[in-house]
Amino acid sequence: MADFIKNPVVGLPDRKPEPVIPADQLHFSEAEKTQIQTWISQYPSADGAVMRALWLAQEKFGFLPPEVIQLVADELGIPYTNAYGVATFYTQYFKEKKGTYVLDVCTCFSCQLCGGFDMLHYLEEKLGVHKGETTDDGVFTVQEAECLGACGSAPMLQITNGAYVHNLTKEKIDALVDALREDKMPAFTSVTLPQDEDEMGGNRRTDVESTETYQAGPVSETTR
Amino acid sequence: MSKAGDWRNYKRVLLPPVKDLHKLDVYEANDGYSALREILTTDKWNPTSVTDEVKKSGLKGRGGAGFPTGLKWSFMPPVDPDVPRYLCCNGDESEPGTFKDRQLLEYNPHSVFEGMLIASYAMSIKTGFLYIRGEFADWITHMEAELEKAYEKGYVGKNIMGSDFSCDIVIHKGAGAYICGEESSLMNSLEGKRAYPRIKPPFPAQKGVWGYPTTINNVETPACAPLIIRNGGDWYAGIGAEAHPGPVLYGISGHVNRPGVYEYPTGMLITDLVNEVAGGMRGGKKLKAIVPGGSSTPVLRADMIDGVTMDADSLREAGSMMGTSGMLIMDEDTDMVSFLRRITHFYHHESCGQCTPCREGTGWLENILTRIDEGEGNLRDLDLLMDLCSQMEGRTVCALADAAAWPVRYTIDRFRDEFEAKCKPSLVASGVDLATA
Amino acid sequence: MPTITIDNQTFEFEGQQGLLQFCLDNGVDLPHFCYHPAMSAPANCRQCLVEVGMPQRDRATGEVNTDDEGNPVIQFMPKLQTSCSMQMSDGMVVKTHRSSELVKRAQKDTLEFLLINHPLDCPICDQAGHCPLQNQAYKHGPEGSRFEFEKVHKPKHIDLGPRVVLDGERCINCTRCVRFTREVSNSDQLTIIERGVKNYPMTPPGVDFDEPYSMNVIDICPVGALTSKEHRFKARIWEMSKTASISTVGAKGSNCYYWVKDNQIMKVTPRTNMDVNEFWLADEERLAYSTFNENRPEGPTVEGAPVSWEMAWKAAADCLKGVEGSRILFLGSAWATVEDNYLLAKMADALGAPAPVYLPHVEKGHGDGWLQTDDRAPNAQGCERLGIHATSPEAIKARLEAGEVDVLYVMEDDPVASGVCSASDMSGIKVVLHHYNTTNQTLEAADVAIPAATAVETVGTFVNVDGHAQRLRPAKAIAGVNRTLSMEIGKCRADRHGTPFDKWYNESNLVNCQPGWVALPAVAAEIGLEMNYKGPKQIMEEVSSSNPAFSGATYSAMGELGVRLESTGVTA
Ligand SMILES: Cc1cc2nc3c(=O)[nH]c(=O)nc-3n(C[C@H](O)[C@H](O)[C@H](O)COP(=O)(O)O)c2cc1C
Ligand code: SF4
Ligand code: SF4
Ligand code: FES
Ligand code: FES
Repeated sequence: MADFIKNPVVGLPDRKPEPVIPADQLHFSEAEKTQIQTWISQYPSADGAVMRALWLAQEKFGFLPPEVIQLVADELGIPYTNAYGVATFYTQYFKEKKGTYVLDVCTCFSCQLCGGFDMLHYLEEKLGVHKGETTDDGVFTVQEAECLGACGSAPMLQITNGAYVHNLTKEKIDALVDALREDKMPAFTSVTLPQDEDEMGGNRRTDVESTETYQAGPVSETTR
Repeated sequence: MSKAGDWRNYKRVLLPPVKDLHKLDVYEANDGYSALREILTTDKWNPTSVTDEVKKSGLKGRGGAGFPTGLKWSFMPPVDPDVPRYLCCNGDESEPGTFKDRQLLEYNPHSVFEGMLIASYAMSIKTGFLYIRGEFADWITHMEAELEKAYEKGYVGKNIMGSDFSCDIVIHKGAGAYICGEESSLMNSLEGKRAYPRIKPPFPAQKGVWGYPTTINNVETPACAPLIIRNGGDWYAGIGAEAHPGPVLYGISGHVNRPGVYEYPTGMLITDLVNEVAGGMRGGKKLKAIVPGGSSTPVLRADMIDGVTMDADSLREAGSMMGTSGMLIMDEDTDMVSFLRRITHFYHHESCGQCTPCREGTGWLENILTRIDEGEGNLRDLDLLMDLCSQMEGRTVCALADAAAWPVRYTIDRFRDEFEAKCKPSLVASGVDLATA
Repeated sequence: MPTITIDNQTFEFEGQQGLLQFCLDNGVDLPHFCYHPAMSAPANCRQCLVEVGMPQRDRATGEVNTDDEGNPVIQFMPKLQTSCSMQMSDGMVVKTHRSSELVKRAQKDTLEFLLINHPLDCPICDQAGHCPLQNQAYKHGPEGSRFEFEKVHKPKHIDLGPRVVLDGERCINCTRCVRFTREVSNSDQLTIIERGVKNYPMTPPGVDFDEPYSMNVIDICPVGALTSKEHRFKARIWEMSKTASISTVGAKGSNCYYWVKDNQIMKVTPRTNMDVNEFWLADEERLAYSTFNENRPEGPTVEGAPVSWEMAWKAAADCLKGVEGSRILFLGSAWATVEDNYLLAKMADALGAPAPVYLPHVEKGHGDGWLQTDDRAPNAQGCERLGIHATSPEAIKARLEAGEVDVLYVMEDDPVASGVCSASDMSGIKVVLHHYNTTNQTLEAADVAIPAATAVETVGTFVNVDGHAQRLRPAKAIAGVNRTLSMEIGKCRADRHGTPFDKWYNESNLVNCQPGWVALPAVAAEIGLEMNYKGPKQIMEEVSSSNPAFSGATYSAMGELGVRLESTGVTA
């Protein structure tokens, strides 16, 4: 997929799509409905809960085809059109099916200067896809991400809107891809504050399995 | 001159060195919620006196604009029991180079909750929304677990600590849009709309979320409130730079040996932060430039930072801004053209698209910088870029267009040689006779 | 009274007012795209920027500071402000492009941005010629383009719904169309999708933009991004003449323009009237114009054979002559004007016949409380106010069957289609029929058939469902010469400057018909009744002065926007 700036084409969503979620699966469980009602009660109007409900639906169905967005809108009692407009505004909502693992590699700003593009290209090469594409086996989608708020541990990536992997190296990517192929998600990693290292001899949390320290980023080979 | 005093012996207060401070019992054992308790149970405090104390502290917002917090709180209209009012706490943290809020949320979540409650008390607010960017999913889970504990303990919710003050906190999860950090976009996002920023006036204090009076603060801002109540505004005002006081979380990234989030007073010398705090330049390289407060703040060349300290006044004099105090340090090998190209890509990608100059201008900037970066640019392009910046600045609904234009304007202005070197040589400059060429 | 100074000219104003609207109302032609008076102002196009200043006040005293000459010191806001979102306040000083280089520059800059991704396909765009973007780019825009890159490509030729087509590339993202469905029609069928430069308006998947008011977005779209599926590529704007009149679809009498090329109605668009339809028109009001163009009669007939107009008048008169008044049934019409119905009632009275009645055309449930009404005819109120009351097909049928009627005189209606009886059931009686279309099912039974000028070919008055009396104006010409009609007709540039010898002057599609106010006096004259009026204007003067239910409804008072009549308590 060429960069938008080189190939500025905006597509038309399928306007009369066949539903992809079987009708007998297209519903929320009682527990999910209760959860959505709780969210609704937290806002002055039900619209406020739309983002949470879309998140829940995406986690349940894997992505947000139109029928799922409609389901969310109906559950909230808001216009489907509004829910659809919201879903297309945000990048983290998947409007089409992605790989089981979506790898969002940050190449922005600090990450750019600390090897973010090297990591992205390495991953693209390793998995045989370009950014924006999914591997043929449907396991991985590689994406280029904007700053993910972890610039001190650049380069970094995020796995399917969840775990952050900090201080990326090629070796780390190899290990990560292997682990994900076996469906082993990396544990949440707490990045230790440098001052904590100095003053407390390490990470301040005793309740996390995995910690890491901030490290100087690698010298980047390319910045695009 | 550093305005941070004896910073080498500085004792952290936002993130004090306490194991497991994120746990409620540990937080309690370390004076946690004592400021709120004092407010709710002693006669000394009422909403006005709390706001006055915050005014006295000189606290300025940590979200980027550096607006005086006490003053902002006092903009809320008089209480009308029939009209709800809201607090929004901004944890959208998406400005490239900024990663301090995430650490605060992880390591001291209750200070954010307590701060939100104090702010709510000061403004007679009954609901505070904590907006956290969707990418911080793990931290949202973490915050929710801690919030639940605070509810169980009666620190949040109905009749807090037996007083007649009730306040709920709702954590809102974003879904990937930088613009949601802009306060009025954040309000639309909360309301379940497309997150377009709103035209001001009306200001949030007049017409905010759902049309009701609202105050918006960055998460680090209210986290200072418990400290101010416990130790007094004067104490807080005495930390760091006089006109821009307090402890601040510096997020240092880029070509340094020891990047990370550091808590120090405001008014630290940039050189101290780079050379001492962050362990100096990676690989012994020379410093080329720094961006002091997130991607939209103007870049400073190495020769511009002597004696410059991290506070609003000093940075303004030096030709930049404090922003989010997310500092990017660049070494001599940095390609400023590629660097700027990637920044323009960011703003192009993140423009909400409602205003003409931003929607169209951000893409045009990226187009030109891509061309220059690929060696296809002309010298004329540099002037065009400057023109486009002037056409965007101050002409839009929100400040994203300005934030997109400033890096272009200042990076080119301050590194013009590098940009010219990447452009195709001008026919005039290379001595070609145009008439015969 | 508070004052505001705009480009050195001071105006007084009252109450809460938006600056842009005030400027527009006072002849300051401020360029703008996204602002629409009926909807919220997102201030997103950034075209209406102006300099705004306020008198500087002394902090301590609150008094206005003055300079050496005693004039207030004006403090201008550091940034240009969008006038569409600016509320006026006393003492405000505004500089527009007429007096500020800064504003001029900003307008030009914004236009440059708007045009970089615009396809500039004006030569094939329906909006060209009445396009705010084209006009403003011409007046205020830059001369060339400095943009040297691939334009963003977006979906084109998309049927948003059955009646509206989208060209995503032409869209300037003003969000007017989306706000219309959200704030005005409340159909919620449109949203902007995507983000940033990828933005464009769309329905969500599976939804058609088919609401009954969908075509309004075509008018409010400030570019050619939304066009009418039905009118696309049929006529350029400058080839049509436009006439301010009212819609005849339903009883709302929405104000509209009829657009005509070669004496055919090409499209119908709304005309603002805040007392009737505000800025809008229902889709059905725009699309039901084929009856004006198609199946039109070719002059009068007697027993089905073409005759001259004189013969027709005579034949109609012959039907009436010598018949006892009580055995003539005059059928008025809720399709016909007040003037024509009035003349009919006069004729009935003169012949000693009972007052005319009319057949209501009510479709229960069709009304929506907005512009669509249950009543599908435009002038039932006018009939009622004239004392022409509604009857039912059954009641007429009963009279016909009882043999009480020798002559049925029908003004511009179709009793057979209304279900009174079949045409053959009328064989025993004389039928005079004034009709619009050859599809009129009563034609078969008509002894004398008189083609009538339709609402777009005549001059007259309709009273809408709310008692608003409004004037009809002729939009297209009929065969023959009529001074009243040719004076009132809307003209395009070519018409105004052309003569019958110029080749653009067009005689095609002229229908050989006559307005009721020509036909009825002509028939009356043949019976020996005096009906001498100079024209419909004079008829209406008589109606308004003699009938309190029409008090005040003279042509000059009705003007272009009509007058609200006193309620009579009668509902049509
Ligand atoms: C484009 C843009 C993005 C912003 N992003 C953030 C953000 O991610 N976090 C934040 O706290 N403030 C952000 N701000 C600033 C907010 O609008 C607002 O000023 C701030 O949250 C106020 O908090 P404070 O007074 O505590 O600084 C952003 C502003 C703009 C114009
Ligand atoms: S400046 Fe940009 S991001 Fe801000 S409202 Fe306008 S288009 Fe949206
Ligand atoms: S289609 Fe027309 S009305 Fe709708 S947003 Fe685009 S320009 Fe505006
Ligand atoms: S720049 Fe990559 S996380 Fe911030
Ligand atoms: S008309 Fe004011 S910004 Fe569009």
